[in-house]
Amino acid sequence: MTQPDVVLVRAQGVQKTFTSGRFQTEVLHDVSLQLYAGQFTLLMGPSGSGKTTLLSVLSGLLRPSAGKVELCGVDISSAPDAVSARVRRRHVGFVFQSYHLFPALSALDNVAEVLVLKGVERARARAVASAMLARMGLGARLEHRPAELSGGERQRVAIARALAGDPALIVGDEPTGALDKNTGMAVMGALRQELTPERGVLIVTHDPRLKQFADRVLEIEDGRIVADYENAPGASEAYH
Amino acid sequence: MRRIALHSLLFDRGKLAAALLGVALATTLAFVQIGLYRGFEVSSSTVIEHHGGDLWAIPTDLEVLDNAETMSVSVRNMLASHPCVRDVRALVYGFVFIRKPNGTRDNALVVGAEARSERPMPWALIEGDEHELAQPLRVSIDRTDLAKLQLSDTPIGATFEVNNQRVTVAGVTQGIRSFTLMPYMFTSITNARRLMGVVEGHAHFFAVGLRKPECAADVKRWMAQQHDVSLITRADWMQRTERYWVGGSGAGLVLAFTAILGLIVGAVIVGQTLYSMTKEHLPELATLKALGATPRELAGFVLWQVSLLAVVGGGVGLAIAYVLRGVMARSGLNVMLEPSTLSLGVFATIMMCTVASIASLRTVFKVEAATVLR
Repeated sequence: MTQPDVVLVRAQGVQKTFTSGRFQTEVLHDVSLQLYAGQFTLLMGPSGSGKTTLLSVLSGLLRPSAGKVELCGVDISSAPDAVSARVRRRHVGFVFQSYHLFPALSALDNVAEVLVLKGVERARARAVASAMLARMGLGARLEHRPAELSGGERQRVAIARALAGDPALIVGDEPTGALDKNTGMAVMGALRQELTPERGVLIVTHDPRLKQFADRVLEIEDGRIVADYENAPGASEAYH
Repeated sequence: MRRIALHSLLFDRGKLAAALLGVALATTLAFVQIGLYRGFEVSSSTVIEHHGGDLWAIPTDLEVLDNAETMSVSVRNMLASHPCVRDVRALVYGFVFIRKPNGTRDNALVVGAEARSERPMPWALIEGDEHELAQPLRVSIDRTDLAKLQLSDTPIGATFEVNNQRVTVAGVTQGIRSFTLMPYMFTSITNARRLMGVVEGHAHFFAVGLRKPECAADVKRWMAQQHDVSLITRADWMQRTERYWVGGSGAGLVLAFTAILGLIVGAVIVGQTLYSMTKEHLPELATLKALGATPRELAGFVLWQVSLLAVVGGGVGLAIAYVLRGVMARSGLNVMLEPSTLSLGVFATIMMCTVASIASLRTVFKVEAATVLR
């Protein structure tokens, strides 16, 4: 498999075990992989296969029980919470299935406040957020709150928020899961367009139709990577 | 972060109103309970405070204002002969029997003072004037005691018996009540001596004004040869009297206990309110954590909301406490909201919110960023 130069995520021998009372469940078993800049990667697998847990570990939301994860050059598997948080803030943009926008804020403020969190001065943050939302086709919806937007519009606000601050890695967890087919394809197209040589995208899904957007597909079953192959994107009309 | 916290707080007006109400009621409870306790404490020494003086000559070993034997005029003369002493003012103070218009008997407190213009006695006269009280057997009574004394709403000129002598009401005060709810009757010192059978020149206490405060020790030494008289500062005398009633009477302890209970109940109400508000905002907190907010920044989110609730809810609670003070004053209860009570109330509110926010902060620190995935 041909590989770009810049490694964004390096996972080595990752295990993840959840404990509930007397019971322990090992969800990830000895997972090793690397994610690269300039690559749009799909992580696919059936329900309960461990794909969301792996996404959480790779993006620094969960600490692995064993093994090592480096995110943009920082070992986040043993770093304090505050360090891990700063790495996420600086290098990762998230797109969630349920959007997780702040209901009290307008679309503009949802994006701008994340930039403020990253240390951008408020007036500049609002200008950048406004441009970002216009790029997502939401220039006329800046002052609308999430409840006043459609599902597709909310997800595009979420993408604009994820892109705010120019992260190296965009992570999406079933970003089309709550959308109809056409809207979902449009959202994936928008995400694909944000791929650059310096930026990687990792999307978790169980929808095989999304393969058309991917350069690479990882398949996971029972907490193990069972397939890792290149893919030729662009076979669908929706992509274009 | 503050902007998100503020907008989140304001977003759901219904829940915000409920949270504010919880904090406001808890704060009202704290202010009223502390104010009642302070009112009780202060009302036992209020005559001492208003009569003034730097030092007080009191019978040796006297524990409380209300139980004094009289002192002779020689005490006064000796005090007045010290070069540091500016003035000596007598106070006649004690219990009397009264006979109400319908013939029933009761007790009252008579206060007769040598007043100064800057320290009028009584200090809250709303009808009549002090000069009228100097007329033979004229007294003032408090408006809150009218019903108890079986007098009408226009009592000036009404008469009743005090120690078998008929007195006439020549003044009405507002809000001067003893914590025992025994009516205060103010009059001139001459009238007070006459009503209580005190010999001319004698008094229960002498308040001593000093030319220089640093003379106090010298004056005390000067009076040491008078074994049956002690000199004590006004502040210490007030404190001793307050301690006697607050510590020695069951009522004081009950009020203190109720005040502490009020604070605990308030803390629980505020804690429950803040905790449920934090739980409401857990999805936003988890999202912020996922987006890279540090634990410290998340704590800031919660503390910012808590502070806003404490300030606004506390302000509303204080306003309600002021309204209640007026209502309770009509029943003769003194809810004291002076600067020291307010400081204590504000401190109690801050402590309530701080203690109450601990559970919220623990929840915030434990929030899993990964919960935002699905």
